[in-house]
Amino acid sequence: MSAREAIAGAFCAIGALFFIIGTTGLLRLPDFFARLHPSTKCDTLGGCSVLVGMMVYAGWSWEIPRLVLIAGFLLLYSATCGHAMGRSGFLRGMPMWKKEPASEDVEGVGEEA
Amino acid sequence: MRDFLLGVALIIALNAFICLYRAVIGPTVQDRLLAVNVVGTKTLIVVVLVTFIFNESFFLDVAMVYALLNMVVTVVLSRYLETEGWRGREVR
Repeated sequence: MSAREAIAGAFCAIGALFFIIGTTGLLRLPDFFARLHPSTKCDTLGGCSVLVGMMVYAGWSWEIPRLVLIAGFLLLYSATCGHAMGRSGFLRGMPMWKKEPASEDVEGVGEEA
Repeated sequence: MRDFLLGVALIIALNAFICLYRAVIGPTVQDRLLAVNVVGTKTLIVVVLVTFIFNESFFLDVAMVYALLNMVVTVVLSRYLETEGWRGREVR
């Protein structure tokens, strides 16, 4: 196991950790706007970390420009999609989570919006 | 190293399957759209890992097209949900 593979493995492990964090946030958080935050974070940070690890693993070859293209496009489209989904939820009047007992009202409110 | 990459790909694919739970129970349509978007990104990363597991470099082109399709689906569907059926430019 060379140093190159060790660096690539470390980047992949960091990326997998951030994907696990993003999945946890997507499942556990109470609100749509709160769930939007960790999922877009795990897209940009975890995905680009794995892609950088694969760039290190590939060495000098023609895979590097394509990986750079995929990583740049991932940075672009994750932010764009997060903004579009948040805008669609906000303009439709989706209720926001409050700490008081009204948190049960989040279920099934989307139909009347 | 190949076994390690296979393990990382399996972990990410398992995460994608767990994310589908939110797409099933999500209270609003935007929640389901968000879960499907996250599953698409994780599939993109798995395809990039499969490239280096099997040493087939054409999978990178598949990953690029997959990213483009994922972006188009999410932006168009969220625009559709925002205007509730292409009713016009102004929203409320």
